[in-house]
Amino acid sequence: MRDTDSLMSQHLAPIVEKVEAGDRLSADAALCLYRDAPTHQLGQLADLVCRRKHQDGIVTYIVDRNVNYTNVCVAKCNFCAFYRPVGSSEGYVLGFDEIFRKIDETIELGGVQLLLQGGHNPDLPLRWFEDLFRAVKQRYPDFRLHALSPPEVIHLSRLSQLSVPEVIDRLVRAGLDSIPGGGAEILVDRVRTLLHCYGKATSDEWLDVMRHAHRAGLRTTATMMYGTVETLEERLEHLCRLRELQDETGGFTAFITWSFQPAHTERGGSEATGVEYLRTLAIARLVLDNFDNLQASWVTQGGKVGQLSLAFGANDMGSVMIEENVVRAAGAAYCMDEVEIVRNIENAGFIPMRRNMHYEILGGPVFRAREIPRVLELATARAEGDTSVPPELRQYPAKSWVGKAERQRRS
Amino acid sequence: MSDAQGAMGDLTAKVAAGEPLSSQDRDLLVATRDLLALGMLADEARRRRHGDRVTFVRVARMPCRPRQGEPSEVPPTAGEIRIDGPIEDVVQAAARIREVLALSDGQPVSAFTLGELDRWSSENGIPLGDILRQLREAGLELVAEAELDRLERSLEACEAVATSGLTIARVTMKDPPPQGVLSLFAELRSLQSALGSLRAFAPLPRTLSALAPSTGYDDVKQVALARLLVDNVPTIQVDWSLYGPKLAQVALSFGADDVDAVSPVNDAGAEGWRRSALEEIRRNVAAASLVPVERNGRFELL
Ligand code: SF4
Repeated sequence: MRDTDSLMSQHLAPIVEKVEAGDRLSADAALCLYRDAPTHQLGQLADLVCRRKHQDGIVTYIVDRNVNYTNVCVAKCNFCAFYRPVGSSEGYVLGFDEIFRKIDETIELGGVQLLLQGGHNPDLPLRWFEDLFRAVKQRYPDFRLHALSPPEVIHLSRLSQLSVPEVIDRLVRAGLDSIPGGGAEILVDRVRTLLHCYGKATSDEWLDVMRHAHRAGLRTTATMMYGTVETLEERLEHLCRLRELQDETGGFTAFITWSFQPAHTERGGSEATGVEYLRTLAIARLVLDNFDNLQASWVTQGGKVGQLSLAFGANDMGSVMIEENVVRAAGAAYCMDEVEIVRNIENAGFIPMRRNMHYEILGGPVFRAREIPRVLELATARAEGDTSVPPELRQYPAKSWVGKAERQRRS
Repeated sequence: MSDAQGAMGDLTAKVAAGEPLSSQDRDLLVATRDLLALGMLADEARRRRHGDRVTFVRVARMPCRPRQGEPSEVPPTAGEIRIDGPIEDVVQAAARIREVLALSDGQPVSAFTLGELDRWSSENGIPLGDILRQLREAGLELVAEAELDRLERSLEACEAVATSGLTIARVTMKDPPPQGVLSLFAELRSLQSALGSLRAFAPLPRTLSALAPSTGYDDVKQVALARLLVDNVPTIQVDWSLYGPKLAQVALSFGADDVDAVSPVNDAGAEGWRRSALEEIRRNVAAASLVPVERNGRFELL
């Protein structure tokens, strides 16, 4: 062994022992591992911790659809390739009927929920969401709505001038089942300022929405988008803040991390590499000792590194998605349907099981029980060139000047 | 610790000391489900031979028969200029080699696969050695690929290459059945024992299935096994353009020491966005805590 290697191992040895003993890692200890541990060793430790939590050899996934109800957004985060400003000819809002059609297609593929997120559109008031959720629940009583990340909830709170708990309460009464952990990026305000996402939600505000949601009995996920301006220390600060809130509420079901996708964004630059992704996933598994589930982000890393995530601390292959718009806008266009996800899970030596958002097992693969069509390309929100405006929008007051003029013209 | 884990641990000392592996050791490596332990061993074997260095080569591809009006420029950044078949006529192929050589600015020209040359030789009743000599005389330096699973008489064909003064740029496998891979590894090992001149082996299939692509686990395991089982071929390479930056980079931690087929031009994206291929490969190698060094097709460091 090389001298530097042996010095390195000596300095890591007590931290490795801590992990093996199941002790909690401090941010400093985690930083040593993240910075200095060889990639395989980091993976082995994450795998050890993951297997302790999941001794049944099961790797889960969900059949759901990732729907973005609007791409119009006033937040203008500089890492986002998806949004269009108010008044853009490329801006869209999905109609209720379009969303119902997407739900029908999802159910046909064995899907159980929509992951519904969108831009901060000033012309979609809280009532639009309440009506949509009610209409969905009326038509599809068992179908779940995993919807509106914390910054969207804050946006609705500002738009409606209601407090965050009130907004959550109204959405839950309308049919909201759980909240996705999007919009967290890095929960450090220095970073959020540089990414132009401090305005949409500060770190504390993001965490507060989740706190309120957990108190209201909702389960949520947590995320981290890394690879922009943050330091390794700030990534760990992010993880530690999530860990603290999880200690307090126990409301997070899962954690998902992905790398910033730079193409077509104002920020630009390069994407963090595959090895950095696997290391980040592994360190998240070690720090987030109170999270049961870590998802693999095959949609940003591709199927191969997505599958390798299962050796680096992930116990869930995420969603079959069916549709995806946000990552695609930034240049990545990977696709895995249920057949592919199951094949990858089994190939890695695990048992594939379908789950819901609460990580309750629903059963084995749908395609083994009945014939379903293969999906070789993820759908998009709308067909290219479709600029239709849903008729029901007329019933909702717009806030923006452009939106008001447009609604007046249509009515 | 399980027996299997203990046995894998014992292998680490062997690999670190560069001791030859027994057939029992080999069986253990093939059977293991511990991907990361296997990766660690392959990484150790790679470091013994190459230290922290990862080489890469930028390859420009030219057709054997350019279509009319097709530009015939060679990017000056290419470290290997590769002429792709099919070969239809040796005289024309030799003329094309001369043409490309004139544009090559001293960088080596490679062409064709050994399998296609061998088949062409049998179909046309011309000895393989004669064809190779003609191509060599035209200025060819490297046979671009020897696809192990497509060579009927691998030893004779490889010997003919060596006798004609040419070198095989890379040994590859086109689309071997998964159960045939290990016997191809064994064949390559004995081929190299006889020849000693093979420089690089790319152990991942060249043909990818769109419906059921090989998985990440399969790919990195195959790279690691190639490093450990084909221990007499110095370079284990992974193809950047075929497998993409993410898998290629991860493969560097599982025994690969060389990245093939990096683009000699910048990738153009929409809206005028450009990405420097050179910057990308260097960044990826460095992010795997390794040191990127550019080489040409002759394995000369640039
Ligand atoms: S990330 Fe979300 S909030 Fe930020 S600009 Fe994009 S759509 Fe808007």
